[in-house]
Amino acid sequence: MPRPEINWITFSIDGREVKAPENAMLVDAAKYGDVEIPVFCYEPKLGQPVGACRMCLVEIEGIPKLQTGCSTPVKDGMVVHTQTERVHDAQRAVVEFLLINHPLDCPVCDKGGECPLQDITYGWGPGTSRYIEPKRHFVKPLELSPLIAIDRERCILCYRCVRFSQEISEDYQLILNERGAHSFVATFDGHPYVAPFTGNIVELCPVGALISRSYRFRARPWDIEGAGTVCTLCPSQCNVDLTVRDDRVLRVSARDNDEVDDGWLCDKGRFAFQHIHVDERITEPLMRQDGKLVPVDWDTALTAAAQALGEAGPRAAAIADGETTNEEAFLLQRLFRERLDCGNLSARPGGDLPLPLARGLADPALQATVPDLEFAHAVLLLDCDPIDDAPIFDLRLRKGVRRRDMNLVVASARPTALDANATTVLRHAPGTAEALLVALDAALSDDRGNLGGAASAAGSSAQAVQDLLEDLTSAGGDIVILYSERLFGGPRGPQAAEALLNVANRLNLTGEGAGLLEIPIGANGRGVREAGFAATHGPGFAPVANPGLATHGIAEALAEGQLSTLYLLHTDPLRHMSDGELWERALSSAQTVIAHESLMTETVATHADIVFPGEAYAEKEGTLVHPDGRVQRLRRAIGHPTPFNRHPGSGVRAGWQVISDLAKLLGLDFGVFAGSMASQQLFAAVPFFNGLTLDEIGGRGVRWPAREAARLAFGETSREPVALDVPPAAAVPSEDALRVGTFRPLWSSKEVDVSPILQYARPTQVVELSPVDAERFGVADGDKVEVGVNGTQVQGAAKLRHAVPEGTVFVAEGLSDASSSLFNYGTVQLRRLGGSAEESPINPIIGMPAIGESPFNPPRHELRESPPGTAPRMNE
Amino acid sequence: MPYNPGDDVVLVQRGPSPGGAGGAYRAFGETLRGLKQTFQRLTEGTKTIQYPEEKVPVYPRFRGRHKLHRFEDTGLEKCVGCSLCAAACPVDCIRVVADENTPENRVSAGERYAAVYEINMSRCIFCGYCEIACPFDAITLGHDYELSDYNRSDLIFTKEMLMAEPLDRTPLRTAGE
Repeated sequence: MPRPEINWITFSIDGREVKAPENAMLVDAAKYGDVEIPVFCYEPKLGQPVGACRMCLVEIEGIPKLQTGCSTPVKDGMVVHTQTERVHDAQRAVVEFLLINHPLDCPVCDKGGECPLQDITYGWGPGTSRYIEPKRHFVKPLELSPLIAIDRERCILCYRCVRFSQEISEDYQLILNERGAHSFVATFDGHPYVAPFTGNIVELCPVGALISRSYRFRARPWDIEGAGTVCTLCPSQCNVDLTVRDDRVLRVSARDNDEVDDGWLCDKGRFAFQHIHVDERITEPLMRQDGKLVPVDWDTALTAAAQALGEAGPRAAAIADGETTNEEAFLLQRLFRERLDCGNLSARPGGDLPLPLARGLADPALQATVPDLEFAHAVLLLDCDPIDDAPIFDLRLRKGVRRRDMNLVVASARPTALDANATTVLRHAPGTAEALLVALDAALSDDRGNLGGAASAAGSSAQAVQDLLEDLTSAGGDIVILYSERLFGGPRGPQAAEALLNVANRLNLTGEGAGLLEIPIGANGRGVREAGFAATHGPGFAPVANPGLATHGIAEALAEGQLSTLYLLHTDPLRHMSDGELWERALSSAQTVIAHESLMTETVATHADIVFPGEAYAEKEGTLVHPDGRVQRLRRAIGHPTPFNRHPGSGVRAGWQVISDLAKLLGLDFGVFAGSMASQQLFAAVPFFNGLTLDEIGGRGVRWPAREAARLAFGETSREPVALDVPPAAAVPSEDALRVGTFRPLWSSKEVDVSPILQYARPTQVVELSPVDAERFGVADGDKVEVGVNGTQVQGAAKLRHAVPEGTVFVAEGLSDASSSLFNYGTVQLRRLGGSAEESPINPIIGMPAIGESPFNPPRHELRESPPGTAPRMNE
Repeated sequence: MPYNPGDDVVLVQRGPSPGGAGGAYRAFGETLRGLKQTFQRLTEGTKTIQYPEEKVPVYPRFRGRHKLHRFEDTGLEKCVGCSLCAAACPVDCIRVVADENTPENRVSAGERYAAVYEINMSRCIFCGYCEIACPFDAITLGHDYELSDYNRSDLIFTKEMLMAEPLDRTPLRTAGE
């Protein structure tokens, strides 16, 4: 559904004529006339208002009774009064009523000082209470989940959290139990509320009933400072507000930006901030001496690194992962290209695309925005699951389906979390997204021969592809294709990119509201590439004279001894690259491995020779590029950590500073003395960033595809569809061999591994298979199984999912142990090893707690009187 | 040519010259009046207070060094670490870091307690706002004013110091004194 047109009308509020958009709710329309109507339950982000709290009562002329301002749409000529005695009486009565059972423990309550109930009581309440009877008492506080504590005495039953669970994240776990004054919020089955987005209810709660356990009793609102920045833990790049006290980050809250995150955060973004202050942080330069990493000073480490790089020259290589800022990537590629005459740079785990294709995919006309996901007529989810790859897109797609009548079309190998919301679901074989695109292209160009061939190569049928296309195109022309960078992984990446561009071309996705949206693998994957950190192109997709090796080539050359020095910028190849074994050999045979890393990971501990301490995102300054082309700014919230009792500057240093110091030692002076100077150089070097300033980017970011400079840089491009060949068919499962697909769980990251509160979510290896196959192999849910081929084995707990197609298994990759980044798509053997393996009782990937024994106390309803001061506490 | 002031000359009007009885009074009268005070005090004896051996008693509402209190019956701390004192403090000299009570380690009566409670005495202006802000009467300003030290960092009083009774009690003025 395209964006609705706004029709401005005039209405009167408190005797003033005010212009407001027609059908806006009175509460919102009143703000156009600087009138504040108090609310508790109303929250526009949650969709349709419910009018549960009655705080927003107003008087409307012509209607005898008071009306709720949050659920009454404003009409032309409406006359509204908010300051009459009747309204004031009603407001005072509502506040008094809400406070009847609300305990007066504001000094102890974490919400005290930033509590809407406090504010509204002061502003609109009666000032005194007439209530002398005993209040309602509950056991307090209880663990609603490992992340959230619930204090049911404080709840005012506004339904916000329940609505979030039912209508936004659609995990349907929270409900209100019992009736009337006995109502309380709980999960429907008494299990912990575990889902990917639970933390949002803490922020939604207008009282202190839902409290984040990581922030519990840490600070009061007057102790803290807010610092706006951008989360770099996944490609969604949500805008966040960090709560800082004593130079420590204590909390992450959403900094609403409709264009990026719609005001929501996932639990990883909200709670994995703990990785900033853990013992695993690397806080000073390290060097390997006699096989052990020992602290050294910066001069020693920089000199050693400069010497290693200088000696290697063109035999050096660098790999960057997503959280690298544009500036770091830009400076490092300058150092490599200008000083070392070396183009072995890679930020794509799957390998780089040829320049015309990389450029074609970045064409500003083809770029969809994040809000387009919501307002499009149809969205094709192409072989990715946003819940794992970029979780906040998942909420956006749900919103589109629920509120904007968007057609969601899913074509993926692995069952996605959005299947239930989709109009059509097509399951293709793992690793055959390209074949599916070829089939779509054939269907669009009426090429019956190719259609049948490609569809069967994808493990599907021509009819299924036709149906999918019908649902995709029937509603209208605004179509968005959401795909993952994984599409281009492997040797047939360029062909897949051709096929995608063909389909985009035939669907005519160049218009406003339509386009392609890529989810990169790294958080800033797009920005790093646009800053020129790629084997095939320089800054702004400029052609380079001597293209270097891509990821796979670097690994092979290192293993064979053709390359000697490797610079790892915020990346862990053993964990994130597809061929773990090759990388193991590559890192072992490399002469010098320079790791620029913030956390002591297994790879750093075993393979790094020189370690530069890296910044956490709260310490960084620089720019990022969102998957939809929005250039966003990272702002420094806290100082760099320094080892105890050492002088400032001896600890972590800014990434741009380390790289430019290194360049200086190699005889190349960037002339960069501040982070902003690096940004300026970047904006000058990338044609479509030209003229950009940090001020212009500001807190909300700027989409570069929408800027004039982008049009100048790319010009009017028109692309003719090219002839595609049908890719090789997917492996066929046989009696004893199953197709294998991989996925990277949302929680598989080094930040989650070290965050104490997220330990429950740390992923373990699971082997997802269909119940039919499970029966055939005699495997029960939770059994320990092993999958493998050609001597490569992965062990994990079997998980039976009805949605997994027969003959296919899925294993997680990117885990700290038992990584499955070993399989290229093909078939594997499955073997049962034994009874149920030890596994976390909660599976955050699916969002539903497993039924059975739970280590967390399920919330039990106990209505009882307890004298003040003796109420049982948490953990009791 | 010598300077000729001409019309610039201003004549100064002088008072009558001192002398006679008036002059004598002015010379000795005031001195005797001052000496009258001197002789009066001579008869009273010394009034010097031999500080620090002797101390001036303070009034009951004198605002001196802070005290944190416990419940007399249970021995639990009254302070729940709510930080309202820090919010009220006009010079920002109070720092509170709260923590959660557990059944094994119950410090205060509420859910939370002050794990860190520090007052920077070199910055405190003894206005008493913290006492007014405290919802649990956990902090009061006592009578001790001897707070000087050799080191600035020693003037940051910790919770243990604020909980403890002062070594020497400051004498309190009795009613009518």
